[in-house]
Amino acid sequence: MPNIKLQSSDGEVFEVDVDIAKCSVTIKTMLEDLGMDEDEEEVVPLPNVNSAILRKVIQWATYHKDDPPPPEDDENKDKRTDDISSWDADFLKVDQGTLYELILAANYLDIKGLLEVTCKTVANMIKGKTPEEVRKTFNIKNDFSPSEEEQVRKENEWCEEK
Amino acid sequence: MDLGGVDVWGQIAVETSQMFVSEGGVIKSRFAGTTIEKLPDKVLLNVFCYLSHREICGMARVCKKWRQIAYDTRLWKHVSLRPEISGLHVNSLDKLLHLISTRFGASLRYIELPIELITHTVLHELANKCPNLTHMLLDFSTAMQLHDFSEMQAFPTKLKYMCICLSEVIFMEGFMRKIYNFINGLEILHLIGTYEKVEEEEEEIYEVINVHKLKSATPNLRVINLYGINFVDDSHIDAFSSNCIQLECLAVNFCAKVTGSTMKTLFQRSRRLKCLLMQGTNLQSEYVMQVEWEKSSIQELDVTATDLSTECLIDMLSRIPGLRFLSAGQLNGFNDSVLKAWAELGNARNLIALDLDSSDNLTDDALHKFLSRYGHQLWGLALSGMPHITDQLWQSVLPILTNAKILVMGTQERLGVNIHVDQLMDGIANNCPNLERLELRWDPENLRFSDKSQKAIDILRVKCIKLRCLSLSRCVRSDGRYYEIVKANFERADRLTVVRTTTCCRVSNYYLLANYKDLIFN
Repeated sequence: MPNIKLQSSDGEVFEVDVDIAKCSVTIKTMLEDLGMDEDEEEVVPLPNVNSAILRKVIQWATYHKDDPPPPEDDENKDKRTDDISSWDADFLKVDQGTLYELILAANYLDIKGLLEVTCKTVANMIKGKTPEEVRKTFNIKNDFSPSEEEQVRKENEWCEEK
Repeated sequence: MDLGGVDVWGQIAVETSQMFVSEGGVIKSRFAGTTIEKLPDKVLLNVFCYLSHREICGMARVCKKWRQIAYDTRLWKHVSLRPEISGLHVNSLDKLLHLISTRFGASLRYIELPIELITHTVLHELANKCPNLTHMLLDFSTAMQLHDFSEMQAFPTKLKYMCICLSEVIFMEGFMRKIYNFINGLEILHLIGTYEKVEEEEEEIYEVINVHKLKSATPNLRVINLYGINFVDDSHIDAFSSNCIQLECLAVNFCAKVTGSTMKTLFQRSRRLKCLLMQGTNLQSEYVMQVEWEKSSIQELDVTATDLSTECLIDMLSRIPGLRFLSAGQLNGFNDSVLKAWAELGNARNLIALDLDSSDNLTDDALHKFLSRYGHQLWGLALSGMPHITDQLWQSVLPILTNAKILVMGTQERLGVNIHVDQLMDGIANNCPNLERLELRWDPENLRFSDKSQKAIDILRVKCIKLRCLSLSRCVRSDGRYYEIVKANFERADRLTVVRTTTCCRVSNYYLLANYKDLIFN
């Protein structure tokens, strides 16, 4: 298998199997647009991903290299979040900062499967929590004034349990 | 710093979330500075996609940015407002009107409304604010009386799919005559009766919807599903067939008054009719025999739980030119001579799905002969509810069923013999690589399994990688141990949602119908 070289934002170079690297649509289009020859010694710069995160992304992509491509059909996307595989769940047992860095990398590199499973993980962290608990979990500042807070509560009260 | 008890825990939670344990002890993560606020809106929207509408509303209260995302119309394409059927509960019309314009808007494609919310103001608002609404379900089933629609002037005009759940006693005409002008584009119509409610004998039956007027308003229907409606009879089928030239699929399951007296004309008029589902109707053999089957393009047929005679079945099956799908369970008339005649005189070369549930008059010998000839082409086979069809027959035909996607086997009745389930699983695994759905209805007490069963389940799991539903009986009186073993086995391999119980999931060949997606209703 031919390899390509990926360079992280902090300058580290990773040699990766082309097929694994191509699970990133961003890298795939880059290679196609540049018409890069596979035996060329060129390095693909990834200025938005640092080495620690890139290492994890490559680890994920290597494990999932034989997965079937995700369905294109966004309309009927399954809402379930209880189907995260145990390998992915272990892989994502990281601090919140790393999780968001992974999401940002998956978003930038356009890796649908990784973006999906990381977003599901965040959704699971939200589920079942009150707004106040969510603020605590994610360290989010409540920027509503008391009157705004009352208004937004009213806007959504129709949605509360019967 | 003055921290209240709760806040201390909150603070600790936040801090631990930003650390991780390494061999050197606890250190602060180098990405502690990356908070959820750094995520772009598009990504947060993607996260919200995995939350229920109720949870999304709660999250609007977290902060301004989250409110803005929670109100994004893209999260509100598919909305159910029937609280009984896991939908949202909107308690006032004003709120709903507000939601339609601010939250649903142009994104809304599908909406379910309960009787309380079906008013002319709501429908006006949907017509004005939701230009992309193509699917609508209106639930009148619990209605005590209809709202006043005399002032109704507008109704969504782009509907392709409409489902109306009827009440037994409320006449719909006051509503229907206001919408006839707007529903010309309908392609799929569901009218759902109250079949599932307890049937009381001698109760008066009201014709609550005027099918004759409805059919004139809907000339473009491709799919009609009349489900469990007590007043629907042959004249209504005749009415639809007289005006809907595009008709491809007609289902009248559990409409007990249907006898088939207008079937001959139905087939003469609806040349495109490919799918006819008449389960649990009062179909009469003489009418079925009058149909010019040889000229029809029928491909999919369900006559389960009717009273068709052996003579009629032979006549019909030997004349239909290209049947792909047959459900003919619970028929006393379906015996060996029917299968034999079908194989000799008819054409089963296109058959891909066969359901002969509870056909007590079929012998395993006749089934074996038929399957030896046609088994290789079948995608779906259901031979459930027959005590005499055991693992013996299955084992002998499995090597032929190489294309099977759906298999249903077993009966709830207690048997005198035990099923060697390990060998059976082995046979399935080694012969049916495309299997997607499997149901074993046998009483767990009749399954012979042991601790060594793991190996057989492993093989099934590994060889049938497309398997997404494995439904097993789990009786109250037995401890459901086999179910637990299989479930645990699949869960260990991260296939969490495959194994289910027969009480919550029934496998049927209906998945193989060409119009299956159009036929689903909530």
